[in-house]
Amino acid sequence: MSASRSTSSSSASPARASRRWLAEQARDVRGWLTLAVAAGLAVGVLTLVQLGLMAWLISAVVARDATLTSLWPYAAGLGGTVLLRALAQWAQETCGLEAGLRVKARVRGQLLDHLAALGPVRLAERHSASSAGQLVDQVEALEGYVARYLPQATLAVVVPLLFLGVAFWLDWLAASFLLLAAPLIPLFMALVGMGAQRLNEQQFQAMTRLAGHFLDRVRGLTTLQLFGRTPQATDEVVAVADDYRRRSMKTLRVAFLSSAVLEFFASVSIAVIAIYIGFGLLGYIQFGPAEQLTLFSGLFLLFMAPDFFQPLRLLAQHYHDRASALGAAEGLRDLLAQSPPRGAVESLTGDASPRARLSDVVVSHPGRGRVLGPLDMTIADGEVIALVGPSGAGKSTLLQLLAGFIDAEAGQVALREPTRLAWLDQRPFLMQGTLADNLRLVAPEASDAQLREALAAARLDTLLATLPEGLDTPLGERGLGLSGGQASRLALARVFLSDAPLVLLDEPTASLDPDSERLVIEGLATLVAQGRTLVIATHHPAVMRMADRVLGFDAGRLTPRATHATPEVPS
Amino acid sequence: MTEPRMPTSRSPGAGLKALGPWLRVMAQRRTRLAIGALLMLSTMAFAIGLLTLSGWFITATALTGMALAAGVAATLDVFTPGSGIRLFAVGRTASRYAERLYNHDTVLRLLADIRGWTFAGLARLPGRELARYRAGEWLNRLTADIDALDNLYLRLLAPPLVGLLAILGVAGVLALALPRLGIVLLAVLLPLWGVITLGMALAGRRPSARRIETLERLRVRALEHLQGLAELRAFAALGAHRGTLETTQRRLLDDQRRLGRRAALGSALVTLGVQGAGVGILCLALLAFTAGELSAPVASMLPLAVLALNEGLAMLPAAFVQLGATRQAAARLNDQAALSSVEEGTHAWPLAPGEAPEVVFDDVSLRYPGMESTPALAHLDLRLAAGERLAVLGPSGSGKSSLAQLVARAFDPSDGHVRVAGRDVRDLAPVALRARLGYLTQHTELFHASLADNLRLGLPVDHGLGEEAIERALWQALWIVDLDGWARELPQGLETWVGEAGRQLSGGQARRVALARVILRDAPLVLLDEPLAGLDEATAGIVAERLDTWLDGRSVLMFAHRRDALPRCDRAWSFTAAA
Repeated sequence: MSASRSTSSSSASPARASRRWLAEQARDVRGWLTLAVAAGLAVGVLTLVQLGLMAWLISAVVARDATLTSLWPYAAGLGGTVLLRALAQWAQETCGLEAGLRVKARVRGQLLDHLAALGPVRLAERHSASSAGQLVDQVEALEGYVARYLPQATLAVVVPLLFLGVAFWLDWLAASFLLLAAPLIPLFMALVGMGAQRLNEQQFQAMTRLAGHFLDRVRGLTTLQLFGRTPQATDEVVAVADDYRRRSMKTLRVAFLSSAVLEFFASVSIAVIAIYIGFGLLGYIQFGPAEQLTLFSGLFLLFMAPDFFQPLRLLAQHYHDRASALGAAEGLRDLLAQSPPRGAVESLTGDASPRARLSDVVVSHPGRGRVLGPLDMTIADGEVIALVGPSGAGKSTLLQLLAGFIDAEAGQVALREPTRLAWLDQRPFLMQGTLADNLRLVAPEASDAQLREALAAARLDTLLATLPEGLDTPLGERGLGLSGGQASRLALARVFLSDAPLVLLDEPTASLDPDSERLVIEGLATLVAQGRTLVIATHHPAVMRMADRVLGFDAGRLTPRATHATPEVPS
Repeated sequence: MTEPRMPTSRSPGAGLKALGPWLRVMAQRRTRLAIGALLMLSTMAFAIGLLTLSGWFITATALTGMALAAGVAATLDVFTPGSGIRLFAVGRTASRYAERLYNHDTVLRLLADIRGWTFAGLARLPGRELARYRAGEWLNRLTADIDALDNLYLRLLAPPLVGLLAILGVAGVLALALPRLGIVLLAVLLPLWGVITLGMALAGRRPSARRIETLERLRVRALEHLQGLAELRAFAALGAHRGTLETTQRRLLDDQRRLGRRAALGSALVTLGVQGAGVGILCLALLAFTAGELSAPVASMLPLAVLALNEGLAMLPAAFVQLGATRQAAARLNDQAALSSVEEGTHAWPLAPGEAPEVVFDDVSLRYPGMESTPALAHLDLRLAAGERLAVLGPSGSGKSSLAQLVARAFDPSDGHVRVAGRDVRDLAPVALRARLGYLTQHTELFHASLADNLRLGLPVDHGLGEEAIERALWQALWIVDLDGWARELPQGLETWVGEAGRQLSGGQARRVALARVILRDAPLVLLDEPLAGLDEATAGIVAERLDTWLDGRSVLMFAHRRDALPRCDRAWSFTAAA
């Protein structure tokens, strides 16, 4: 489409790739888009019919002395045309809307699949709020592009051509005034596009800075109040916004010029056609088709002129939809381009097989080189293994490998069936919602009784007893604030809710006070008593004492340590 | 799964009254708003004039041409309408450009006004209210609400007004030619105007307000999905959570579909109404021409004026169908402003400046809202003598930070009294209390600004120091927290920008900058919540020693897990397990 290709900018090729990506996303809704374009085309044709009939009626009554009453079928037809035109317009908007909504749902699904496949370790490289923003806001930004811009980009070419054809049939000289503007149309669009793009990029950056400043000051309001600085901060908020205004007005002065050019051509074409037709009808113009001009063809041409430019003006209006979709597409493509780990965990069958086996496994991190391996490890059923060593030694990496969150560069990871596992993170994830919601996050089908049982096993029953709303007590930013120790025990309760035979725990007692430590360790002992297989990354001597084997790391290889070794000082 | 609770408007049925305060903020710029609307109107007038005059001209020339061809002597002044057409064409372009520029300037000015006004309102909120609103979710919401109001003028105020005036203007022109034409036009277009503004607003009220809520919920769900990915994947619960996420998305899409369809219906109605009126006026005008009531050029120009109204009305349905969301945004912001009308104490500070106060917790109990049965503090008695240094020790969650927050009035006790310098803190003017209080909060809050700006914040508000003295004070404070060497090495020194929420600094450095800020306040009462947390042992030793000297002669409450994590204190007080 010439209109959309003409934006030349320094970042032409990523923009082109984003457009290709967007086109691919829109492929599934081709049907709806085609309907939208067809309806838009119908609007164009019906508009022509309406304007033609109006010109014809005027000319019949005024120039040929017919009476309107004798022409009533035409007047009725005119009314019907208007009705159909409104209907077609409704159909165009509705079909475009449907296409937009469907593309959003599709892209969001695709992103969710991809984010899940990337896994928590790869995801940790990104700010979770920004990924969530991509899932929500950037996907929302695609709607306008698909629903409005895409159909209009086709209509802005086809409908003016249709009008031009009719205009040529009526009077080729008048049509050529429109045509003169036509080669300029790609130029308009380039101008509009460049203006809009520049506007969008700069505005977006400035707007982000402005919003960032405001949010930063609101976030720190407590501190500002403590130091009695709120009046100054208020002045500052206004001053920053005002500075933003002054800078963006400079950009806008240029950016609005492009749409003024479009406006100018539209206005001048109408004026030139009106004056040409007027002088032609008066017989002042002696060459070309001017002598054949009639009141009908003259009025029809005049009526047509504004609608000739209307699709282009609409396209210009939808240009910001395109710019924001392109911006969003770039971010989304980056995200989707990241290749997920294969998560290739093989399964071992048979009762005699170990719970897990690592053979010749090597793990490397980009930039850090080899982190683990080559190592061989067999974890027997019901065994308790403590992984010890300074931070960065590879404890978490080994757990992530067992969980399938990362890939081994070489070697093989195998788990015995069922390969279900339970995971306890150093910083357990708490969602907004009730205590029950937080537990059912990992066991959606669990009954209230099962939740209570799990809480008791995790030594949270005393807390539960003090809560008037019980399991329905809201947690998180707006509810009950759990201490670090309580949060760890909540995570432990999640482990109790699952019957997974293999439990992976990443520093379950890190940064807890002694009381909480004791309660968590009691909970771990219950897990051991249930016969589960535990792999625990830990610094804690009591946890090490609980283990059947304590393994340390030496340059990425596992080395056995005595189970009752001199306790290290917890960091 | 219960949905997260959102702050909702207290008066959902309050209609458009919620917009009142914001309209008043805007009214301060009423001259600008009026000029902007006039520019819009003149752009429309030029567009209507261009088409109308052209239609008149063509019909008039056609008739004159036919007369000439028939050999009848006829003349027509072609130059006046010709120059009129040119004037309208150029005027429309110029007026449109000026209008866009001027109105965007206005909108950006309003943006500054609205942000300033909201911020000032939030700043008046008592600390204890603010503490409840710290959630990230609330911040997102606040930004979205303010953004919704930024566009109030350009989308919802000026266009309907200009549209209405244009309808009245065209009806006036029609009525001048033939009164009944004007009346017919008003009879069709005034109801249409009502339908595409108020009608659309009503049709979209519920779904548009709900759409905002659902979008917010989707954001929360998405964040959960990503932050909890490790747990969800390991426990094989990813599918179930994704199910709830997709349900939320479906609800959002359903509302968006509803709104989109209603807006599409609205634009179809605009087309039907305006084009229908144009056709109707055409027929009436032609009948009037046949009856000799109208001249031919006038009869053919009038329908054109009606058709040109389309431009002024076409954008209204899509804007008004979303009015419910704007109204709700305004209502939420109003609710926050309403919270700020809490009575505060007025008493001045009862001691001489610099004199260390006594602090007494007298039978204090504290229950957080919503958790009435489990008090954070129960019947606590504690006294800090003037000039004394007391360490408050206890495990996390035992209520240490609550004690500090009670003194700073982030919360008020549910029972009992907190007295500072012999007065209940509730009776002291907040300004007076804060001026005498240096409080290092548990959370480090640095601003996205230069290091110097972050530190200067700590200076007493009425410090009266010259630039040189300030500079000395900053370096002195940095020396105490052992950051002076580090700051001197920075290429930009104190002008170094501290990233978002101080993120370009390490946790320990950010902590020490916050501590330096408290030191700069030079307050007689100092509260230090875990002052040495996150510092390595060597640094903690240096800072503790330098703080020791600085703390001399001040009343100090310090809070930590263990006593050895604090500078030297006179006495330690522990939370018992029961507290």
